[in-house]
Amino acid sequence: MRTKNRWVNVLFLFPAVFAFLMVIVVPFFVGIYLSMTNWDGVNPNVIFTGLQNYTTIFQAPEFLYSFLATTAFTAINVALVNAVAFGLALLVTSRVRGRNVYRAAFFVPNLIGGIVLGYIWQFIFNNVLPAMGRSLGLGFLQTSLIAKANLVVLGISLVNTWQYAGYIMMIYVAGIQAIPASLMEAAETDGANYPTRLVRILMPMMASAFTICLFLTLVNSFKQFDVNVSLTNGGPATIFMMKAINSSEFLALNIYNTAFARSKLAQGQAKAVLFFVVLVVVSLIQVWVNKRKEVEM
Amino acid sequence: MMKGVFSLRKLFCILLALALVLTSTAALAEGIVLSSNKVEIDGALKEYATAYEAQTGKKVTIDTVGGGADYGGTLKAALQSGAMPDIFVIEGPSGYELWKDYITDLSDQPWASDTDVAYQVDGKVVGFPVAIEGYGLAYNADLLAKAGIDPASLTNINAIKDAFAKLDSQKAELGIDAVVSLAASVTNGMTWVTGLHNFNVYLTGYLPYGDTSVIDQVLAGQLDAARFQAYAEYVKLLFDYSDQAVLLTGNYDSQVHAFATGKTVFFHQGNWTDPNLAAENVSFNIGYAPHAFLPEDTQSIFVSPPSWYVVNSQGANIDEAKAFLTAMATTEEGHKYIVEGAGMVPAFKAVKQQPTGPLSKAVMEHAASGDIYSWQQYKLPDGFGMNTLGPIYELLANGTVDIAGFTALFTDAIATIPTL
Repeated sequence: MRTKNRWVNVLFLFPAVFAFLMVIVVPFFVGIYLSMTNWDGVNPNVIFTGLQNYTTIFQAPEFLYSFLATTAFTAINVALVNAVAFGLALLVTSRVRGRNVYRAAFFVPNLIGGIVLGYIWQFIFNNVLPAMGRSLGLGFLQTSLIAKANLVVLGISLVNTWQYAGYIMMIYVAGIQAIPASLMEAAETDGANYPTRLVRILMPMMASAFTICLFLTLVNSFKQFDVNVSLTNGGPATIFMMKAINSSEFLALNIYNTAFARSKLAQGQAKAVLFFVVLVVVSLIQVWVNKRKEVEM
Repeated sequence: MMKGVFSLRKLFCILLALALVLTSTAALAEGIVLSSNKVEIDGALKEYATAYEAQTGKKVTIDTVGGGADYGGTLKAALQSGAMPDIFVIEGPSGYELWKDYITDLSDQPWASDTDVAYQVDGKVVGFPVAIEGYGLAYNADLLAKAGIDPASLTNINAIKDAFAKLDSQKAELGIDAVVSLAASVTNGMTWVTGLHNFNVYLTGYLPYGDTSVIDQVLAGQLDAARFQAYAEYVKLLFDYSDQAVLLTGNYDSQVHAFATGKTVFFHQGNWTDPNLAAENVSFNIGYAPHAFLPEDTQSIFVSPPSWYVVNSQGANIDEAKAFLTAMATTEEGHKYIVEGAGMVPAFKAVKQQPTGPLSKAVMEHAASGDIYSWQQYKLPDGFGMNTLGPIYELLANGTVDIAGFTALFTDAIATIPTL
């Protein structure tokens, strides 16, 4: 009977394990192998080159800048998305009139595809805001935010916040609603004012929601691609280490351009492996730090 | 009893595995597939393919990738997924080098002797010229006449400088926003205009057609200092007199729009903009001035096939694909499609039809009189013109660097070519 059960288990597991092997595990190791070759994406004669691609990418100014820009974007974006999302979550769980309408409305931008959204916001930044600036006589609006190399990261972050804050808000809302009302009422009875209740009761009680939201925004920011492509395409240009490079070409886009636009697939793959390692390390640290702050009921 | 159950399951597993293997090889499309990178002719090409099928019974599927999408990346993905098209497009030597294992020798095709611009490697014809395209400094003849400038006089850098200054001083009278309509931003993907087409002015301007001396030097990592200085000053002149909004944040449509609505006098684009200009109901007369960046006189514009169709040598339909291209180049219907349907300038001598677009007409006239320079920008490494040179042009356009800084960045970038 036991052997029979094992066969049934294997049979039921087979589709999932097979798919996991073929779609995740095998490509992952093939990818690591390809990162140590000279493959251009077409030529069948692949030559093994060892770690040469890795030493090349560490010396490339455009990759280093891309790394810095992505890190800066992640820092700004994680802070902005979570601050806005948490604020909205507090708003839509308060007794404000029409909170269900708000809840739906804030979530809607998340349903628009990133490519479409990027082009719409490009139009807003490049045409609508400068036109408003001209007619109202406001100087700071007249130059496009995404045409300036030192502000473009903030521009992308604003758009990403607009898109993503509603989704993160939903997780915070669930976290807030899971807190027993009796706790907050007891604190109120004891004379704790709203800020105290917020910081001492509400936020510690929903620490697991923070863990999830920080993780999601961190990974999402690091892997930013669609809005990056359609909103800025990596531009505008700037100078870094005496070379002209694109100021908002984040890692995912840089990897794509290396692999496909410049036909250096193996080098792009080496960047992707490095990207993977960094992402795993950063997110593990984040989850570990956040987990220590969670409280058990 | 138990044993019987086991073998049934084993059989089931084997069947499942077989089904997986079989379905992956059974997805072969019928007929031939042509992968195109020109969105603007997609409709005409599909119409022609339908007519071809009605006449010959051979199905041709047109698969257009474009509108800013990455053609090379899509083609690589098609190769990996086993759906490599039967006819695809290469844009020059880098494309040929990348795909040479998949390219068929077409020397024996009847159209091969009917054109001067087929893609040739070692004396063998491998590429079918899609069309002939040309670009220069397109001008609005009506505005030039109003300003009292004879377009025929715009043949050297001094004449162009004077004309720009004169037009700039008459902005209000002429009702223009700026002298030139040119877009250079990375964000809007316009670096093909600067990093490829404009850079080709340096590569082939003032040289005999097909001369490769300057591009060979560039591919060896070097610039000719004196020639580049004159070129850089010309680029700066174009940028200084450009509509700044279009230059720094404009896309293709806004560049076309500024010229089509008479808000600029000059337009840095080629004859592929004819349909866009027609869509904006342009009624003024249009012609081409040369990109004359030296004091010597010239009248030539930059003319070449932009791309070539090649036949997939590892495909299953080589003969059908060859027959389709032959029909396009040798039949009346094919000629009608190239010129009237797609509005292109034909690359074959047998074609009798004349294009109607003003810029296409101008390209044909220049080609007929031999006032042409070649295109060598596609000899640059993949992505180099758009991704590496493009940002340098943008820095000059937005004033981050001056001509000296531009030259320094350019020299460094070119020096890396041999290591790529």
